[in-house]
Amino acid sequence: MASRRQANGLRRENDPPLLILISLAEGPKHGHALAKDIEGFAGVTLGPGALYGAITRLEERGLIEPLGSDDRRRPYQITSAGSAALAGALADLRRVTSVGLARLRIGGSLA
Amino acid sequence: MKPADPDAARLLRWYPRGWRERYGEEFLAMVEDSLDGRRPGWRLRLSVARAGLRERGHRARLAGQRAALPVLRALTWRRWTFFLAGSVVINLPYEFKASSGAAQRWQAAAAMGAFAAVAALGGAAVLTGAILALPAFGRFLRAGGWPRIRRRVAWAAGATTAAGSGMAALVLIAGSRTYDQLRGSWVFFLGGFAAGLVLAVAFRLWASAVKATATHLDLPLRVRVGEMVLGVVITTAVFVMLACYLILSSAIYSSVPLLLLGVAGLAVQSAAAPGKIRQAVRRGRRRPRSAPGRGG
Repeated sequence: MASRRQANGLRRENDPPLLILISLAEGPKHGHALAKDIEGFAGVTLGPGALYGAITRLEERGLIEPLGSDDRRRPYQITSAGSAALAGALADLRRVTSVGLARLRIGGSLA
Repeated sequence: MKPADPDAARLLRWYPRGWRERYGEEFLAMVEDSLDGRRPGWRLRLSVARAGLRERGHRARLAGQRAALPVLRALTWRRWTFFLAGSVVINLPYEFKASSGAAQRWQAAAAMGAFAAVAALGGAAVLTGAILALPAFGRFLRAGGWPRIRRRVAWAAGATTAAGSGMAALVLIAGSRTYDQLRGSWVFFLGGFAAGLVLAVAFRLWASAVKATATHLDLPLRVRVGEMVLGVVITTAVFVMLACYLILSSAIYSSVPLLLLGVAGLAVQSAAAPGKIRQAVRRGRRRPRSAPGRGG
């Protein structure tokens, strides 16, 4: 499990790559739209440097791909490998979260 | 298409050229969108500079890895056996000199003899493996396979030449000096260490080249199993040589812990060898194609 997370570059719930994949799971978006969406659902502000660093790595790993565009704003979409990686990462997170909640003995009310 | 804001465009200088060509325009579009007509603040400049430098580092690492990949791979922790083998072989002139004055001469002579015999056995195993694979290798070359392995072979040959030159120089130095002179010589020590390192890299590179070649060879079942068994023989030989070296050193330095370590190494290798050979036979039968390289 650890090696899969490392291979996908998804380790923490506030990792830019993970947040980008979650955002793109809804549909293709360009850089600024991605940053706005992530800020909206996760409360995390990603600057251009952090966002494009993550986009570069995700594209290198084949987890996202650019779409053609006449505009300077190039949209990206999640690939099937990206969807699988995201599903795996979220399942890992859910497992960890449920263990944490159970240990806090509030799992029944919050999970 | 709207041209980029020159103030924002200057931020791109932190990034490597290849990245700018691929992502530059869309990156600037995002910066301009997020600034909404304002000038870039110091916080943004700082974060972009940090990201740009990180990207440069990433690309430099990738380029470096591509350029020196075989050498870097050869030095990873899993390859420590090759370093041990290199160190043992390169220290032989020094230990050979020392063994003549050892307190336990018979023990030193026996360890040295065993070392040489096992080294010869390992060499014979390498040769046998090569001869067995020769027909399939010929077919591979005739099918135009040489370019696929040329780079690896060139690296391995280069490292071997460098290691051979280093070893020859050490043997010459060892021959013209006494044991005490050698013992006190930092130049000899460092030279031995460096040559050992290069030799270790050469061992590893040859193993890597053989492994890469083997993956392209279409070997008959018997040959495949034979190659797997020979691989175990060679790996075991390296460890037995190390054990012999420890026993030799224990004779020179009158060290009981080194002797125990060497004897324990021999015992472990003897006990583990039959199981490893059985496993190699099973793996050889299971694999659909070629054997994974001797000594790799």
